[in-house]
Amino acid sequence: MKKFKWKTVTPYLFILPWIIGFLVFTLGPLIFSLCISFFDWPVVGERTFVGLGNYIEMFTSDKQVLKSLTISIKYAAIFVPLNICIALFLAMLISQPLKGIKVYRTIFYIPAVVSGVATSVIWSWVLNSDYGILNYLLSLIGIEGPNWLVDPAWAILAVVIVSAFGVGTMMLVFYTNIKGISAELYEAAALDGAGPVRQFFSITLPIITPTLLFNLITSIISSFQQVTLVMLLTGGGPMKSTYFYGLMTYNNAFRHHKLGYASANAWVMFIIILCLTALVFKSSSMWVFYENEVNSGTKKKKRRKK
Amino acid sequence: MKKRMKRLAAVGLVAAMTGSMLLGCGGGKDSGDDKTSDGKVKIRFATWDDASVLDDQQACVDKFNESQDKIEVVLEGWGSDFDTKMTASMGAGDAPDVMYMWDYPTYSESLEPLDEYINKEGEEYKNNFFEALWPYNSIDDKIYGVPVSVVTSCMYYNKDLFDQAGVAYPTDDWTWADVAKASEEIQSKLDSVNGFTLPIGTLPYTLEMYLWSNGTAFVDENGKLDGNINSDKSVEVFKTFQDMEKDGVLYASEESGQTEMLGGKTAMYVDGTWPIKQFEEEGLNYGIVQIPKFEGTEHSISVINTSGIAISKDSKHKEEAWEFLKYWTGEEMNKHRIETELPALKSVVESEALREDPNCAPFYTALDNCAGYTPSSFIAEGWTEVDADIQLAFESIINPSSLADPKEALDEVVASHE
Repeated sequence: MKKFKWKTVTPYLFILPWIIGFLVFTLGPLIFSLCISFFDWPVVGERTFVGLGNYIEMFTSDKQVLKSLTISIKYAAIFVPLNICIALFLAMLISQPLKGIKVYRTIFYIPAVVSGVATSVIWSWVLNSDYGILNYLLSLIGIEGPNWLVDPAWAILAVVIVSAFGVGTMMLVFYTNIKGISAELYEAAALDGAGPVRQFFSITLPIITPTLLFNLITSIISSFQQVTLVMLLTGGGPMKSTYFYGLMTYNNAFRHHKLGYASANAWVMFIIILCLTALVFKSSSMWVFYENEVNSGTKKKKRRKK
Repeated sequence: MKKRMKRLAAVGLVAAMTGSMLLGCGGGKDSGDDKTSDGKVKIRFATWDDASVLDDQQACVDKFNESQDKIEVVLEGWGSDFDTKMTASMGAGDAPDVMYMWDYPTYSESLEPLDEYINKEGEEYKNNFFEALWPYNSIDDKIYGVPVSVVTSCMYYNKDLFDQAGVAYPTDDWTWADVAKASEEIQSKLDSVNGFTLPIGTLPYTLEMYLWSNGTAFVDENGKLDGNINSDKSVEVFKTFQDMEKDGVLYASEESGQTEMLGGKTAMYVDGTWPIKQFEEEGLNYGIVQIPKFEGTEHSISVINTSGIAISKDSKHKEEAWEFLKYWTGEEMNKHRIETELPALKSVVESEALREDPNCAPFYTALDNCAGYTPSSFIAEGWTEVDADIQLAFESIINPSSLADPKEALDEVVASHE
């Protein structure tokens, strides 16, 4: 018989509390929701097994599913690139060696700390078409602002603007990466006569592509999961123009009390996000640049030369 | 040896941590037991209030507990998560014994019918509650909750704005045509003031009172939409509002109207009793009259926002739960809550002379007028989805960027649900 080895068990014992937490609070509910999605599961009353019924209903009789999906995709298509550009721009700004830059760094990051609820409430005032400050500012430069939260054509843009407010976290991730780039590279480039724009595109951007990949994936995921903001800011309106997929799922569960159907909604979203993420990962080999790959590559070359 | 000791200590620590976690779960189960340590029957009571109100409620619960030697009530403040938690706890068969309740259509299957308990208390007990409240606490003629408070709707108007424009104050007899006229006059004399404000987000539950006021409803007594929600009278209601909006005398607001009223941005709007406290605190010079009526009707009819106290069907101690329910809905508690909620008991309205109070009287007049009406959500099956569609239809009718044809929008609601 093998002797019981403490050495092999100890690390697992250390992480046991977290494993239990993961099983009970993440994996368990996940599997449970998959099971529920095959049932007609009202809050009170009989639960009946419907097999794939919920999934079939989603794509045959429920028109809202496709509509909401389109809205979510539209939102993601505007939000993700915009957010990344703003974050990158701000990250470039705060990595400049200026006096008092720490203050700006803090200011830019503060909105990311404010809770989504507070942000929504404040922005609903800012965006108010009648006495909101945004339209007032626009009127000062002679532009008559749109009815942000009333006009269906503008509402989704209003949501994008508000969500761009929370760009701080992404900015910080970019910032730490940019800060880590060695100054020699820039010095060398400057000696060769490269201006700041050229430096950005030829040095900064290629080096931070791994971070870009990370930010791209997390922001795609979060944009599809966006619920808090629309729930509080627009409630899905005006006229369901911001009725995001996540909000639809929430309403199906807690307003219409169709827990089974809502679980099916959630799983379809999970699969969509999974596919998108996989797609981005697949494409990453074409545009993401890992420094260590190059380094090892050059070393090999050098060796061969010798 | 020393190393070994260290390892043992670590393992012991982890084991203790895990153990305490498991114990923690076990402890949770114990607290779900229905007896307290000193042998009293434990009743769980869930409310949707939070913060300041909750402290007061705890004091009231404590008062009840002190007077009892067999029952101990535990207050659970669920706050704004109330519905989500209720959904979850009922789904899990872990509902509280006694709870605040408004959404009877959804939860009635999990609630205890209270007719027998009420009948046992006698005719006088039941008659002391305003009649109009019972339909709001019943499903299929079975009572599932005892009313705890009343909120009806009336029209608020800003006296200062009316004075500045030199327009006579509204009265209880005003029709919508009168509102339109006054609104126009006020707007012509005062800059950046809207005469009448209607929130775009008005819920169908509230909207239905305008249909009642014009002699129709969303559905008939069998829950049928066709011929009711899209009837001529119903279309007339929506058309009245839309025409007023097109004429510029009704402002469709993205807010609730309360902030506009407070900021002197609107001269009139319709609301429940909720804003009174704030209006008083801010020293607003306002008046309250009945909701404007439609041409050719006797008076308008208000919807009631009432909540009741209900007992879970799964409760093991229904008698004790009823005992507490009686306390919570009784005269003493009605009087106690008078600052924040209008009493649901006739005897309290009488004894506190609320019908002489200008801030209460109009709401009780409205209450007298609206006996016998039941919201469609209590009649029709699967209402929440119809409700969402009606809301969408109303939005498309009243939203200034769409202004959809009322008849077409309402027909569409019928078409997608018949």
